[in-house]
Amino acid sequence: MQNMFRDVTSQLLTKALDTASMRQRVISNNLANINTPGFKRSYVTFEEELRKTLETNNRVNLNSIQKIEPQINKDNSTSMRLDGNNVDMDQEMVDLAMNSINYNTAVQQLNKKLGMLRYVISEGRR
Amino acid sequence: MKLFQSMAISASSLTAERLRMDLISSNIANINTTRTEDGGPYKKKVAIFQEQLERKINGQNVGSGVKVAAVEEAKTPPKMIYDPGHPDANKDGYVAMPNINIVNEMVDLISTTRAYEANVTVLNASKTMAIKALTIGRG
Repeated sequence: MQNMFRDVTSQLLTKALDTASMRQRVISNNLANINTPGFKRSYVTFEEELRKTLETNNRVNLNSIQKIEPQINKDNSTSMRLDGNNVDMDQEMVDLAMNSINYNTAVQQLNKKLGMLRYVISEGRR
Repeated sequence: MKLFQSMAISASSLTAERLRMDLISSNIANINTTRTEDGGPYKKKVAIFQEQLERKINGQNVGSGVKVAAVEEAKTPPKMIYDPGHPDANKDGYVAMPNINIVNEMVDLISTTRAYEANVTVLNASKTMAIKALTIGRG
């Protein structure tokens, strides 16, 4: 029997949750170092990679999704202040709000998915 | 778990910013101090912040917050004020006063407060996310 949690939706939502918690960590680190001279901000990329994979493959394929991992990159190009620090507090706060909403969305979708499984298990009786 | 790590990162920054706030309090409180244990006037204290690095997730370099590397004294020379009646005046009548500029201290105070607030916001967001994760599979 096929594992019932190894479908594309669950895998994608798991990846989304992983990305959101990694991004939360990176934002925490950026804001923790807002007064550290010479600090450069980091950011997480995942969605671009996912879009590319979805565009190249006509069918959504489980293996290609599992290969995509969120990546942490460092932004060395800019400077916000004279001390070389490039953390933009407003930008980070916006990213933080977006990240929380993304996380909550993924949790809610996962709950709906599990609810459907539960509905089937109880033969539609609820 | 990653969310607890982000809380720990925010906590490290709260500690660091609070120490900076303590130093600013100390600097403002001692703005007229002309005698110290080391001799000479009080010298402005500065917290040196340093990023804490940790190599962890699939060989990717993830920071793990901030730490106070050292508390050092500012290099600016003391302010010489002409006050011949002062007990600590030198033979020319000048008193060495602390190298503290009250305006700089107030600006540092504001930026410290803002950084502290930002980190509290991040901490609360992480907490909300962790609590939301507990609802997976419920109901």
